[in-house]
Amino acid sequence: MNHNRLARRALGAYTIVFYIALYGPMLVLALLSFNDSDITGLPFKGWTFRWYATAFSSRALMEALVNSFGVGVLAALAGTMLALLLALAFRRQIRFQGLIFNLVLLPVIIPGIVGGIVLLIFFGYLGIPPGLYTTVLLAHINWVLPFAFLTLYPRVHAFDRALEEAAMDLGARPLQVMRRVVLPVLAPALLATVMFSFTLSFDEFVRTLFVTGFDATVPIAFWNLVVLQLAPFLPAMAMIITVISIAASLLGFVFTRNSRAADPSHRIA
Amino acid sequence: MSLSPEPVAVSVRNVRKTFRGGVTALHDISLDVARGEFFSLLGPSGCGKTTLLRMIGGFEEPSAGDILIEGRSVLGVPPYARPTNMIFQNLALFPHLNVFENVAFALRIKKQSAAVISQRVEQALALVRLEGYASRPVEKLSGGQRQRVALARALVNDPPVLLLDEPLGALDLQLRLQMQQELRQLQRAVGATFIFVTHDQGEAMSMSDRIAVMDHGEIVQVGTPENIYNDPATRFVAAFIGSTNLLEGRISALDANSVKVDCAGMTILAAPQAAVQLGQPVTVALRYERLELRADGQVTGLVTDRSFLGNMVRLAIRLPTGLALYADIPAADATQVGVGADVTFGWAPGSPRLLAG
Repeated sequence: MNHNRLARRALGAYTIVFYIALYGPMLVLALLSFNDSDITGLPFKGWTFRWYATAFSSRALMEALVNSFGVGVLAALAGTMLALLLALAFRRQIRFQGLIFNLVLLPVIIPGIVGGIVLLIFFGYLGIPPGLYTTVLLAHINWVLPFAFLTLYPRVHAFDRALEEAAMDLGARPLQVMRRVVLPVLAPALLATVMFSFTLSFDEFVRTLFVTGFDATVPIAFWNLVVLQLAPFLPAMAMIITVISIAASLLGFVFTRNSRAADPSHRIA
Repeated sequence: MSLSPEPVAVSVRNVRKTFRGGVTALHDISLDVARGEFFSLLGPSGCGKTTLLRMIGGFEEPSAGDILIEGRSVLGVPPYARPTNMIFQNLALFPHLNVFENVAFALRIKKQSAAVISQRVEQALALVRLEGYASRPVEKLSGGQRQRVALARALVNDPPVLLLDEPLGALDLQLRLQMQQELRQLQRAVGATFIFVTHDQGEAMSMSDRIAVMDHGEIVQVGTPENIYNDPATRFVAAFIGSTNLLEGRISALDANSVKVDCAGMTILAAPQAAVQLGQPVTVALRYERLELRADGQVTGLVTDRSFLGNMVRLAIRLPTGLALYADIPAADATQVGVGADVTFGWAPGSPRLLAG
């Protein structure tokens, strides 16, 4: 009895410490973003929204946001599309299946800084001019693809092939089967993959730093601001970026859940 | 050139199927299914019945041989170009579409007008008694309703041949019996040829015009349900269909009218079959329900077990020779018979069947 209660208390205390370690720094940052003080850091001198106003009026941040959204959306779409094709191909017996599978996942375990250097050398060798929609986009697709594949592969693998056979039996040619059955049924999983991929691209820093020329994505712009000036609006900016990332991921999780109970209200026109 | 319609809907000719890795699923199958027939492929799992059905539907290609539908070879013709439709084992209803759109699928592919589509879908839903369900999502339907949606979806095209891959397997018994009846009625109403795969002998017997019994990738016997039940061609068919005593014996006497078989000390008279010889080991099949309690019966034995089946009582009987037999006796005749009783029983001449294999 006593022993049990003690164990439960210890577990409770551990849980509290665990969550503080996990979310404490984030909470401090959130607090600082509202701190009415010209110096970044404690003590807390009262509530204000002015740092958010400053952040949103910062040209550097706005440009970076536009850049990050552009690259993020394109990289997410391209990565998801490639991952889908790959996952579809993997449903058949193909040669060197295991090898290809591991090669696709390799970028996940390559250290970011090595990945950045490799990409820099690679693009230089090919003569691709550094820029947002050239080197950065390619680097992001490269980075996002394995994760998109890992998200999508189980869903595509679990897809009931009898559905495709039924569609074919009812007169649909392969492309019609894809458009009218496979894609609609996989739509929630595809949307989830796009959202997760976007988050990954949005947060990518090390590889981007190596391959971007003068264009700045959000993490790059943030880095520049931290290095050049420890501006008091940095916590507010950090909060904005975090909220965008979390929102995209949450949407992804919502779609993931929906893909388990496929949306019945959807109709083809 | 014949002006009369081809009486054979599906003709399977010397079809063989060997899968990659060398497993042979079907050995030299030949089969003709008449137009308008309710034809069942019956056999245990792994006998090749589903593979054969999928080949007719175009989902597998034969390794050798030919398949003709309506007189035309369909080798190399993809499923979307074949005049067959299929009911899949798991039904394979489209989860992202409601009842109406599931049924309308084939018509939309054919780019029919909205008026034609709504009219034909309504007809198909009426055929399976699902009027008023058009806007329901398919996963909100019961098992029987899902079954009917699958039927309507396949029949909306008026296919001359409908292929059914054990579609009733997942239903509970009452619903299964009801769907069996409905399927039969539906088949008569639309007049299409139904090829029905099942491992359930009762299902095949009650629904089919003819049955092909399959085992290990071969067709063992083709015939009407009565024919197959009364005259099983092999030991496998006798054991698979109905409840049968299979008695090993040796032919002890033989003339033009009868064969005497000595089964562990019990002599059984059977109708002669071609190509049996004196002393040859044979199997005698004796259906449980052919045994009857009779004072003047051939054999006496001890009842070792008794189970009540409703209309019948199943008795396990041990003969003095040690041979064990089962008898299904009408329940009314067996009220006085319990475990430990001595019973005298017999069977009508013609009941025992000699079997090969």
